[in-house]
Amino acid sequence: MRRILAQCRKELLQFRRDRLTLGLAFLLPLLTLLIFGFAIRLETKVIPIVVQDFDRSPLSAAYTDRLFATDQFRPARWRGDDPVADAIDRGLAKAAVIIPPEFSRRLKAGQPVEVQVLVDGTDTNNARVIRNSIQGTTAFFLSEKELLKNPPPVQALTRLWFNPGRKESLYIVPGVYAVVLWIFPSLLAAIAMVKEKDKGTILQVYASGIRAPELLLGKALAYLLVGVSMAVVVMGLGGLIFQLGFAGDPTPLLVGTTLYLAAAVLFGLLLGVRSANQNAAVQGVSLVGFLSALLLSGFIYPLSNIPPPLSLVSALIPARYFIVISRDAFVRGTGWAGVWLDVLMILALAALLYLLTLRSLGSLQLADGGGGGP
Amino acid sequence: MPRSSPPDPAHHNASRSAAGVVVSVEDLHKCYGNRPAVAGLDFRVSEGEIFGLIGPDGAGKTTTFHILAGVIEPSGGQVRVLGLPPREARERVGYLTQQFSQYPDLSVEENLRYVAGLRLVSPALWRERRTPLLRRLGLEPFADRLASQLSGGMKQKLALCCALIDRPRLLLLDEPTTGVDPISRRDFWDVLATLAEEGVTIVIATPDLVEAERCHRIALLQQGRIESLDTPAAVKQGLGLSRLELRGAASAAAEPLLSGGAIVDVQTFGDRLDLLVNDAATGEAQVRELFRRQGLPLQELLVTAPTLENVVVISQRRRSGELPLLPFPGVQGSSRRRADPAIAARGLSRRFGAFEAVRQLTLEIRYGEIFGLLGANGAGKTTTIKMLCGLLAPSSGEIVLAGESKLLRGPDLLRRIGYMSQKFTLYDDLSIRENLEFYAGVYGIPGPLRQPRIDWVIASCGLKGQEQLLTAKLPGGWKQRVAFGAAVLHDPEVLFLDEPTSGVDPLARRQFWSLINAFARRGTAILVTTHYLEEAEQCNRLCFMVAGEKVIEGSPGAIKAAQPGQVLELVLPQDQLQSATLLLRRHWQPWRVSRFGDRLHLVLDDPEREVEGLQLLLSQAQLSLEGLRRVPHSLEDAFIGTVQRAQAREGGPR
Repeated sequence: MRRILAQCRKELLQFRRDRLTLGLAFLLPLLTLLIFGFAIRLETKVIPIVVQDFDRSPLSAAYTDRLFATDQFRPARWRGDDPVADAIDRGLAKAAVIIPPEFSRRLKAGQPVEVQVLVDGTDTNNARVIRNSIQGTTAFFLSEKELLKNPPPVQALTRLWFNPGRKESLYIVPGVYAVVLWIFPSLLAAIAMVKEKDKGTILQVYASGIRAPELLLGKALAYLLVGVSMAVVVMGLGGLIFQLGFAGDPTPLLVGTTLYLAAAVLFGLLLGVRSANQNAAVQGVSLVGFLSALLLSGFIYPLSNIPPPLSLVSALIPARYFIVISRDAFVRGTGWAGVWLDVLMILALAALLYLLTLRSLGSLQLADGGGGGP
Repeated sequence: MPRSSPPDPAHHNASRSAAGVVVSVEDLHKCYGNRPAVAGLDFRVSEGEIFGLIGPDGAGKTTTFHILAGVIEPSGGQVRVLGLPPREARERVGYLTQQFSQYPDLSVEENLRYVAGLRLVSPALWRERRTPLLRRLGLEPFADRLASQLSGGMKQKLALCCALIDRPRLLLLDEPTTGVDPISRRDFWDVLATLAEEGVTIVIATPDLVEAERCHRIALLQQGRIESLDTPAAVKQGLGLSRLELRGAASAAAEPLLSGGAIVDVQTFGDRLDLLVNDAATGEAQVRELFRRQGLPLQELLVTAPTLENVVVISQRRRSGELPLLPFPGVQGSSRRRADPAIAARGLSRRFGAFEAVRQLTLEIRYGEIFGLLGANGAGKTTTIKMLCGLLAPSSGEIVLAGESKLLRGPDLLRRIGYMSQKFTLYDDLSIRENLEFYAGVYGIPGPLRQPRIDWVIASCGLKGQEQLLTAKLPGGWKQRVAFGAAVLHDPEVLFLDEPTSGVDPLARRQFWSLINAFARRGTAILVTTHYLEEAEQCNRLCFMVAGEKVIEGSPGAIKAAQPGQVLELVLPQDQLQSATLLLRRHWQPWRVSRFGDRLHLVLDDPEREVEGLQLLLSQAQLSLEGLRRVPHSLEDAFIGTVQRAQAREGGPR
């Protein structure tokens, strides 16, 4: 135990000395949080559309106003009589709505009217959003003007739970926590491990009589502490900036975050032990870290969309379980009942990483092939 | 597999054989892949002994240390450290690795504390030991300084400090004084001697053969085997040769004539010749006869004992043979012997922030001259060399390099100078030939000369037939030779060599110097920095730097002659040396007393008057003075004396 503490204290001293690692620990995570939190929007807002009104009646004007009354659309700069297809071709508008000449007269006469809507389908997600939005607005316009003679017999009344305002930051930011708290602690731990090889200090460690678990736990403990303070800073500032509060019992998050950070640190140490030099370690950790935490974790792309062989890989990624825990803590608030399995999974993965790293460290001796020297 | 004969325990130092055996190694083997690094070692080290492992690069020293420290498993044989397998004895063993392996970003105290924690030193013991230990190694004032900001000598003292915090019974020191200045080196050895007296056993490797004389016993290693194992005195005697030191105005001219008969070996130093002869009397007669017949003046002829370096060079050469000294292809650079200086600097200064690395330095180096720049680490040698070859702009002062004073980095000038730095300048992932071809291309060597010169480098490095070998696979000494070859491919007029031989074994170093001498004879001006004092003897002129300033300049002989006082060499029994050193240091200023191999050197201002007091002092302390004679100042005496007097003038103690 005393060796573990000695090792841990030394790591923290070194960590505090190095501006690069300090930046990696606090500045970069915050920057990442801000970039993801502010800059990334999955849903487009303020979409430029063209409305070509051949009717020019008060009713058609009311319909146009209704379209722009949502904060979703804005009028594209387009002269009324030019062919609207050109506006879409030139990328000035994402959609065009063409109101026919007989619009007002036919509506008043109770006859059906076809309003043509052209949507740029390049971005499939947004095309669907635009179509739904225009259909919804049209339905709302009809009921508002009491133009619906026979309301449909079945009506779906939807209500959005947990995030009624569909605030996207509520979705993104808890996911960003998972990315940030995976990549940076593991990077720091990997550097701390591989630096001993670069500087040759590893020989001294080998010769000191320290045992592999003590070395590993000492380093892991130090960077776990760094990770916890990183988590406090990132989650604290993230909560203030994006107005995220706990939605329910915070204990699963406390336990989950600690375990998750431990897994991240152990992952970094594993790659640090395996890499021959700092460059390899940094590249390995960032590449694997970003790929897994960003793409296979359900942060952006739904997990259910990942096809079978890859989905097995994603089952081994702690970030996927942490995202569930984090979103639950800040958005859903169901507490232990909803996330106990995810906490257990992170614990299991952390234990697996510990065993793997211990095996890679071996008996704390030089390998015959590489380190031999003269 | 042939085995070297195991040492007979009764044969060496009878007083020690009674003590416990701390290290015992029997038929030790270690292979990396198919390459044997250690091929059958047998030795025992007793308690309180300083045991030296001496040998060239690749002889298996570091591998032996790795095995003794328990960081690598042997492929075969029996190793016992304190009666245990090395891995289990780790807690009682301190290990200084060849590369500095304390943490540069931690302070002295933090490094020490970390090791204390790993070694499970209790807080009470830590409090008790910390200050005395730091004080003993002179590190107490620097406890809060980061290890990266320590000088080379202090770094090694810190490493020793860390190794000592747990009071180990065995110290493994793998070239602890490489790259350390002479003064720190002397301090370091004094500490080792005291430790050994306290019963700590020490196994040490060193490339410095003057230092090696301070070991109780040494093992000469060659290609993973022990060539001889005995006390330094016995090893030197075992060579069966005597050494003649010749001084005379025309000694360089005499060198090619001195061969055959009793003469086994000739070596040129800056202002003298060293000969090894089978028999002192016949050798002396042969030399005197030769000089008389040729009408050459002979100022001085001294008969002395061979040095350890002689032993190592001769035994290495018997094994690997002398490399040929081939003429360099190209026009003989006779036109170069011009009167104007090759390098001239006036009032050269360089500041880094508030720190003045070089202060008001004035130098002049002629064509065909080998000029040595000496100084401790941090004295400003590398800064000076970088300014002189235009890599670093001076803060003030003028430089004239090969007649050029403005564009020191101009392409024309660059083609006329060569530079070889302390770090290898070769690409590890290219073959030897590819490296040389690359440099030949960079320097724009004309086509017809290109191949002959590359072939010349390969042949004079003894690498014929191996030119396709990856440079990474070459041992350090060979790499240095190839790097030197690459630096002179374009036949430069001025050559800068920044510590070209640090960490190179004696034979390689010597072959290196014969190359340097050959270029000087072609008229190349050579500026070389070094902190091997034995090597500095090879320069025509020297300059000592202390804290960025020139303190003394002249030929090795002139510098030694200019030293005040007289050096007395004291011979005492091996086991009384340490107490005699301490006694004399209490009586005279500490710098006047130094261990020199297995002797003591004492500098006295007025020996006539003081010698009686010295004899009385020693006999009162029951120390038996076996021999006392006046010797000329060695360069080491001169260096240490000069530096310490300079520091004393500035008022600060070291």
